[in-house]
Amino acid sequence: MATKKEEKQFEKERKAAMKARMARMKAEGLENYFTPDQIRYNRNQRILGAVWPVFRALILFGLGFVIMYPLMFMLSTAFRPNDQMTDPSIVWLPKSLTFDNVKQTAEVMKVSYWDWGHPLENTVLNTIVLNVVASVLQVITCSITGYGFARFKFKGRNAFFALVLLMIIVPPQITTIPLYLQYAYFKLFGIIPLYASNGERLSIINSGLTMYLPAIFANGIKAGLFIYIFRQFFRGLPKELEDAAYLDGCGPFETYVKIMVPNAKTSFLTVFLFSIVWYWNDFYVSSSFFTENRTMALMLKNLDAALQQQLFDGQTVSIRQIIVWLESGCLLAILPILVMYTFLQKYFVEGVERSGLTGM
Amino acid sequence: MSEIENNNLNTAEAEAETAQEVGGNLPPMPQSSEDKKFRGIKMSYEKRKAMYGYGFIALWFVGSIYFFIAPLIQSLIYSFHQTKIVQGGMEMSNPGFKNYYNAFRKDQYYVPALTAMIKDTLLNTPLIIVFSVFIAVILNQKFKGRTAARAIFFLPVIIATGPVIDIINGNMSTGGYSGGSEQFSTMFETNLVDDLLNFLGIYNISDKLTEIISTLTSDIMNLVWKCGIQILLFLSALQGIPYSAKEAASMEGATAWEYFWKITVPYISPMLIAALVYTIVDSFVDPGNEVMTLVLNQSKQWEHGYSAALAWAYFAIVGVILAIVLAIINRFVYYEVE
Repeated sequence: MATKKEEKQFEKERKAAMKARMARMKAEGLENYFTPDQIRYNRNQRILGAVWPVFRALILFGLGFVIMYPLMFMLSTAFRPNDQMTDPSIVWLPKSLTFDNVKQTAEVMKVSYWDWGHPLENTVLNTIVLNVVASVLQVITCSITGYGFARFKFKGRNAFFALVLLMIIVPPQITTIPLYLQYAYFKLFGIIPLYASNGERLSIINSGLTMYLPAIFANGIKAGLFIYIFRQFFRGLPKELEDAAYLDGCGPFETYVKIMVPNAKTSFLTVFLFSIVWYWNDFYVSSSFFTENRTMALMLKNLDAALQQQLFDGQTVSIRQIIVWLESGCLLAILPILVMYTFLQKYFVEGVERSGLTGM
Repeated sequence: MSEIENNNLNTAEAEAETAQEVGGNLPPMPQSSEDKKFRGIKMSYEKRKAMYGYGFIALWFVGSIYFFIAPLIQSLIYSFHQTKIVQGGMEMSNPGFKNYYNAFRKDQYYVPALTAMIKDTLLNTPLIIVFSVFIAVILNQKFKGRTAARAIFFLPVIIATGPVIDIINGNMSTGGYSGGSEQFSTMFETNLVDDLLNFLGIYNISDKLTEIISTLTSDIMNLVWKCGIQILLFLSALQGIPYSAKEAASMEGATAWEYFWKITVPYISPMLIAALVYTIVDSFVDPGNEVMTLVLNQSKQWEHGYSAALAWAYFAIVGVILAIVLAIINRFVYYEVE
């Protein structure tokens, strides 16, 4: 086997040889070597090869610009002093930069990236803990379920799997209200009513349990999709892996933990990342079960009201007047996700490519 | 006494164990006959694997009864009642189809929102699919800066589901800033399209067409931001095209156009279904769309029964549309295996 460097060298030599041959053939007259059809085809391919990259660059640049536009706007406004918002001479670059907006917004949102002294009152930490715990639980249980669907034949498997598909299709908006009541009047195993110390029915609304419990039972946010992804992935792994383990006397669960999990690392990472992103961005489900703004997305969703209350003494101000703070809030809210994305970007892409979603 | 009980328990446990091993309620096989024993084990192996299968999905199934099926049925029940929140749960009265009747015959917003929504989805879905196939094909080619381009095009995947982008867009429009799509759509000035059509001698359909084209271009921002996952799906399908197919096509002298229709499209067609379902469901559950807003508003006004009825009617209609679309598309999908 040639090394990569050698391969490149070979490729270069091959291209040079092709070029030399073409030049020789051209000198002798192409008609002697090719039919007219082939000549036309080659010419077209050559023209396409020269023109297409330019078009491609234009298209990608244009669309990339459209995607980046809101983010550029966010960066441009987040560090702009408020009085420069109304200055018509400023389009993108403010005359001076300020960190005050970000600092004030961080105070209002109870966000702190630099002071970790009050972990319980820090929205970032709260959100991260909530997301990571829920995502880890969800990834573990969804993978177990996906493995069950991928590798075992049992009666009613298709019916059960139809339920997974239904979970993907049914929007959370349909089930939220009954779920709220289930949580507000919580019963152990759905049967035994529990009572809090003051004699009222126990409610788990506002506690992290509303996120963790569904995640433990593979029913968290977008769980159906994750079960599906894991099933597709495990189906794509060769059966011989497990057969060897069975012969060596492993039980199915042991086989799963010792053989399948190590083989599915990338898939696990991808699903974990997606799970984090979806939990981080979710505001519908969490706004139904948290009456206090405990997560980043909720804080952001109610930021304009909070700003009016805390920065403007309860006066009503129009959105126009508080754009800089809102944009700083946006920046604060997506910063952790963006940082994560820049470092783990390739796992989003490669992971999905490899995770066997292809065999849909 | 206790010893005997203990013994009994132990034997019972052992029996249960063997019963499970042998599978279901089969009696334990007699140990003497080799033949029977062998058959017993073989049968038990299959059954035992089935039992393990149930074991693997048990956690999820138990959870989905509590977290999914029960609320689903509950909300269906709400939709047939007048509801009132009281201490300890929901009080229901007046069973019947009244909510559904009101939704379709009395509510002045619901039906128009529904038709607008369906029209939008039917118009946007093919657009999103075509666009993401196009982008995926481009991103699958080899060129310098591909990693960076991919990183930018998948950015919507991590941001678009959150509240951030809505807020930024809202700020841009209230602040009087033109958005990215307006900047982009100056390239496709409506007059230009009109002029072109007039030049070609087409006068009558131009109004409608111009309208469509201008809505498309001015909406390109939404389009690009909605395509992240679909591009990802198609890209993964493109990676699955075997090298032999590419080679064969280039040997036969296929042009890029022919290659796209004869090789690329058949190979990514299975993913088309996934992308379609995702797109339709995504636009259906988007909290920003009109019908969802109505549903959520009713829910905020504590009209949970009515809200559930709206949601269920909507859900049923979208389900029917989804089924029809899938049935049509499924006929054109090419599966390499099976």
